Amino acid sequence: MSMNFSEFKRLLGAEPLSRDPEFLDARRSGGEFEAAAAEADIFEDRLQQSLLFSPPVGLVADLKALSAKPAKSRQGQRWWPAALAASVLLAVGAAGLNWNLNRGWDSVPEYVVDHYRHDGDRVLNLSRPNDPGEVQALLTELNVQAAPALAGIVGLIKNCPTPDGRGLHMILNTENGPATVIYMPDTVVNDQETLAFDDVQVVLVRLQRGSAAIIAPDRQLVTRLHDMIQESIVPIPGKS
Amino acid sequence: MNTEARRHAKFNGLAEAYGADLYRYAMWICGNDALAKDLVQETYLRAWKALDKLNDIKAAKSWMITILRREFARTFERKVPKFADVDEVIVREERELEPEDRTEVRLLRKGILKLPPKYREPLLMQVVLGFSCEEIAAELEISKSAVMTQLFRAREQLKARLQKDGVTGNVHELF
Repeated sequence: MSMNFSEFKRLLGAEPLSRDPEFLDARRSGGEFEAAAAEADIFEDRLQQSLLFSPPVGLVADLKALSAKPAKSRQGQRWWPAALAASVLLAVGAAGLNWNLNRGWDSVPEYVVDHYRHDGDRVLNLSRPNDPGEVQALLTELNVQAAPALAGIVGLIKNCPTPDGRGLHMILNTENGPATVIYMPDTVVNDQETLAFDDVQVVLVRLQRGSAAIIAPDRQLVTRLHDMIQESIVPIPGKS
Repeated sequence: MNTEARRHAKFNGLAEAYGADLYRYAMWICGNDALAKDLVQETYLRAWKALDKLNDIKAAKSWMITILRREFARTFERKVPKFADVDEVIVREERELEPEDRTEVRLLRKGILKLPPKYREPLLMQVVLGFSCEEIAAELEISKSAVMTQLFRAREQLKARLQKDGVTGNVHELF
């Protein structure tokens, strides 16, 4: 055996499960080598207990199902100009923001802008006819349900972060073009607050449970959708 | 089986094989359940779109981790959310733990989140993903010896933290 104890300790700390023959011989060589290996094994066991945990039941299947679907053809058109650097034009209708949890964004409008610039355009291009059952299943996880008229026009639904935890990012295929809806189950907004950035218009909707942001290029479209969303996303009776 | 069906089968196989590891990895680098789910989904979406470029199926895990890491970097170019409390984030345990063990595990988790990223990431790749030092070196684009140094220091820092926090029991006896 040619590995000295110092080398052995170093390898034990860097790659305790190494299959290097010299290292394995050293592990079995008794004395301080074997004692150090036994201590390291206990630590590794704790480390694995700390790092390895079970993902939520069904998570992988849900995400997989949402991902492996063909993007709907856009006939060569892009609905959104990409990466426009226009400054954010906030047209805040009501004074004050009911914003009480600082999770990285200073306001709901800032979150909406950040979120939409992050993946709004790309998600729009993934929209396609969806299964209303899939839509309801994801909403149910957040203790809300969608009216059939809404569930029937959702072209894509995916989990997304919100200022206050998990939310849903939906694309609605309306007669007047696509619109994005970000559902925020635990975020409070000022109802009908509006903003505009890049080439899109936004209206915030206060819901019976949580809130939503409706985003589309057309002001009239987001305004029309406000009432529909407010009436269509409702708590599941008996669920808090 | 037609081309599209084969593509679906290939994707499903990868998604199922690596989904849990991707989620765990995402959780440990971003510390937030909703963000972790979003990162995994983004990874799936990009993997699905680029699936035809994956020629070597043995490289699939590294390929998907690379996608996830890039997506994470892209996401946080603008904003870095504060870490959520680890005990709020990880509520599902692989095994039932005795109270004393639970304390140690919690301290270790907090210690892991406080590790500098250059130590945390190699450790996550090794323990969560099962990567070898060579694979970690390739993913991080650093030398194998640098990876080994970082892994050694990561463990040393964790042990020091446990010792500082006065953990009793098996782990404490190590030092």
